[in-house]
Amino acid sequence: MEWIRFAVSAVLICLGLFAFAIGTVGVNFFDFVLNRMHASGICDTLGTLLMILGLVVANGANFFSLKLLLVLLLLWISSPVSTHLLSMVEKHTSNSLGRYIRRKEDRDGSV
Amino acid sequence: MKNSAFAGFLRWLDGDPEILLGAEEMTEQPDVPRDSQKQRIHHLEHVLKDHPLPVPRAFSRRNVRIFYAVVSVVCCLVIISCLLLAVSDLPRFGVEHAEVEEVTEKYVLDGLEETGAVNIVSGIILDYRAFDTLGESFVLFCALNCVLILLRTDSREEEHDISYYSLSGDDVLRKSIMFTLPLVLVFGVYVLLNGHLSPGGGFSGGAVMGGGLILLSTGYGGEVTGRFITERRFKTVCFIALSFYCLSKSYVFFTGANGLETGISLGTPGAILSSGLILPLNIAVGMVVTCTMYGIYRMFKKGSF
Repeated sequence: MEWIRFAVSAVLICLGLFAFAIGTVGVNFFDFVLNRMHASGICDTLGTLLMILGLVVANGANFFSLKLLLVLLLLWISSPVSTHLLSMVEKHTSNSLGRYIRRKEDRDGSV
Repeated sequence: MKNSAFAGFLRWLDGDPEILLGAEEMTEQPDVPRDSQKQRIHHLEHVLKDHPLPVPRAFSRRNVRIFYAVVSVVCCLVIISCLLLAVSDLPRFGVEHAEVEEVTEKYVLDGLEETGAVNIVSGIILDYRAFDTLGESFVLFCALNCVLILLRTDSREEEHDISYYSLSGDDVLRKSIMFTLPLVLVFGVYVLLNGHLSPGGGFSGGAVMGGGLILLSTGYGGEVTGRFITERRFKTVCFIALSFYCLSKSYVFFTGANGLETGISLGTPGAILSSGLILPLNIAVGMVVTCTMYGIYRMFKKGSF
């Protein structure tokens, strides 16, 4: 039983590390701000979920695990909201947005 | 009488920054014709564009860049060597040092009995070294006052936010604030009130609560927080907290130095109402930190509360 628990938590934490690694690669790989935010935001959400689940499994069901889940909840609220706000400001203020994305009507017209 | 030093001082108390100027010394300046000035500036710009002012060779862009590079490297090396010297002077980790051990041993062995705080750190900073913490609170208060002096705007103009940068009114932010703000504030109060029992205390709890207030005013605009944080209330809270801290700690140190009875019971260690003055002092520090964080944010954001 103890070994199964250890294996499950190790697999979860390794998957979380993998998600974070993908996010880091994405941030450094893309040029455009919104692409980078997309990569880091999505991988952060998945990575924190897997990491904290791994820690909860390793720790067992007690009060400390509840606190960890609360941390996960707060991270899940705050991280997407901050990504949303950053991208909103970027959309309103960027001068070079047209170089990377096209509006829907322009795209439909050209294709 | 109107231009005497005393009258100037009174006017300064009322908020007039120009105490050296008399009350009636201001005279109206003759209007400079706008057009000619504009034309002159335009002409100057034109001339400067064609014939730029000669820059001395020593201050050419390349030389300045080399100078900055060299100076920054030298500064870094000096700071690094100073820090390494200071670190090498510290006692090694885990090795017994008689002169260092004495104080630590005193805190660890007698701290719980003398201060009544389970959290030894808060027993140290709010009991043995309470005046140090008072100084830190005053540093925060002074920083806030400097920001107030520099950034405060007196005009009651309409708040013209550039809507791109102002995040207030964003629905996603508002909904998430409605969910997180109670949690943040309750957590701040918990950290503040449990300072003598668990890690935390006035500074960290106050920072959390100040962050919550900043969050609220980011999402809902300054009017919402302005309803319960007016400038007057703000000053009152800071003043009462700091003076309570100062007076109560002076009393305890005075009686402690003379071996008098303080009349403040330490209570049962571990109970929420225990450890004498540490809990109220934590609350006082927390109030000052909350006000400072929120006040500095508002000053940088808008220039008034």
